[in-house]
Amino acid sequence: MERLLASFLQIGAGAIVTLQMLLGGILISSSIGTLLSVIRFSKSKLCTFIIDRFVSIIRGTPLILQLSLIYFSVPGILGVKLSVLSAGVVAFGINSSAYFAEILRSGIESLPKGQFEAAKTLGIPRFYMWKDIIMPQVFINIFPAIINEIIALLKETAMISVIGGMDIMRSSQTIAAEQYEYFVPLCMAGAYYYSLVVFIEFIGRKMENKMAYAKG
Amino acid sequence: MLKVNSVYKSFHHICILNGISLGISKSEILGLAGPSGSGKSTLLRCMQGLEKPDGGFIERNGKTGFMFQDFQLFAHMTVMQNLLYAPSVAPGALREKKEEYEKRAVTILENLGIASKSEVYPKSLSGGQKQRVALARSLMVKPDILLCDEPTSGLDVATTMDVVALLKSVCETGVTMVIASHDLDFLTKISNRIVLLKEGRIVINIEVPKFDDPVAFLKEYY
Repeated sequence: MERLLASFLQIGAGAIVTLQMLLGGILISSSIGTLLSVIRFSKSKLCTFIIDRFVSIIRGTPLILQLSLIYFSVPGILGVKLSVLSAGVVAFGINSSAYFAEILRSGIESLPKGQFEAAKTLGIPRFYMWKDIIMPQVFINIFPAIINEIIALLKETAMISVIGGMDIMRSSQTIAAEQYEYFVPLCMAGAYYYSLVVFIEFIGRKMENKMAYAKG
Repeated sequence: MLKVNSVYKSFHHICILNGISLGISKSEILGLAGPSGSGKSTLLRCMQGLEKPDGGFIERNGKTGFMFQDFQLFAHMTVMQNLLYAPSVAPGALREKKEEYEKRAVTILENLGIASKSEVYPKSLSGGQKQRVALARSLMVKPDILLCDEPTSGLDVATTMDVVALLKSVCETGVTMVIASHDLDFLTKISNRIVLLKEGRIVINIEVPKFDDPVAFLKEYY
């Protein structure tokens, strides 16, 4: 029983690492993703080309490759040594930003053109139009897709074990290797991941209900 | 007030406006009539600057306001927020004091009979109420010329009569109006002058009060 509790706590410490990566990843991906999607609508052909290539390359290469490149190659190129956690946050953030930008793009495109025109006819400056008219409505419309992306990102953080991050997955594997017993630690890891997903879904549903008033 | 000089506009090689010339004087209510696809909305959008003419030009003396056919209210804002937002972020030179535009919003909503809906979101408004909010919002920018695209589409007869009264009351405050609609009854009730468009050209331009039955006359050319 004591051994079970110790294992549970050890995996719990891994859950904190997983959550750190998830929150850092969300912060980076939402910032970069928003910026990319707004710049893409500036109608500059060069910007659109660069952003489309970025999204295509990120979506077209494995996350494990991107993570390894950032952790193993960046120190050699830039001379900056990244911690496992920082490398994870940066890699997951950049990877997710491509998906986030695509979700936002479809959200912006699905908003009636008249909303942009109404803002224009009322003399609302461009920055405020994006900040207070377009983005809040887009966010409400794409919210379910964002929750999906966050859940996908949570599960992808398990990839950090490749560069030695002690997250939920790696912690459970370590315990399994020490105790020559895989079933219980892996089930515990599954329970942690699933609990986090259920929690995200719960918060998502609550927020979605709160925003229902504003759906066109 | 507004002058349209030989305006041409095409979309995907299909000519929508084919050399339109038109003048609108102050405090006039001009009706733009015509069947679907005749170019009414496009002409109105060119007047507002939402479309750039391929040829010709439009002179505007004063600020324009625009009422969209489908209202285009901001769904995530209450009625009051819809009215107050544009004045609150107006560029420096145009910015008014908060108390001033807040007072104006309350007055406009009271005049349009929707003061009780000020804290409601557009989702829970009826078509007629949305129409009034759209009108209120366009009046907040103090337009000299109000351009209305199909303001009665989807409204019942009683609400249409309300819209006629509302727009007339707005005109009495000195606002010039251009109204595009395919509803000849509505247009003849409200306009001083009606321009009938067909295939991007002006077919006829009539002074409404000079006719006993302007609808019948216009129908001959429709």
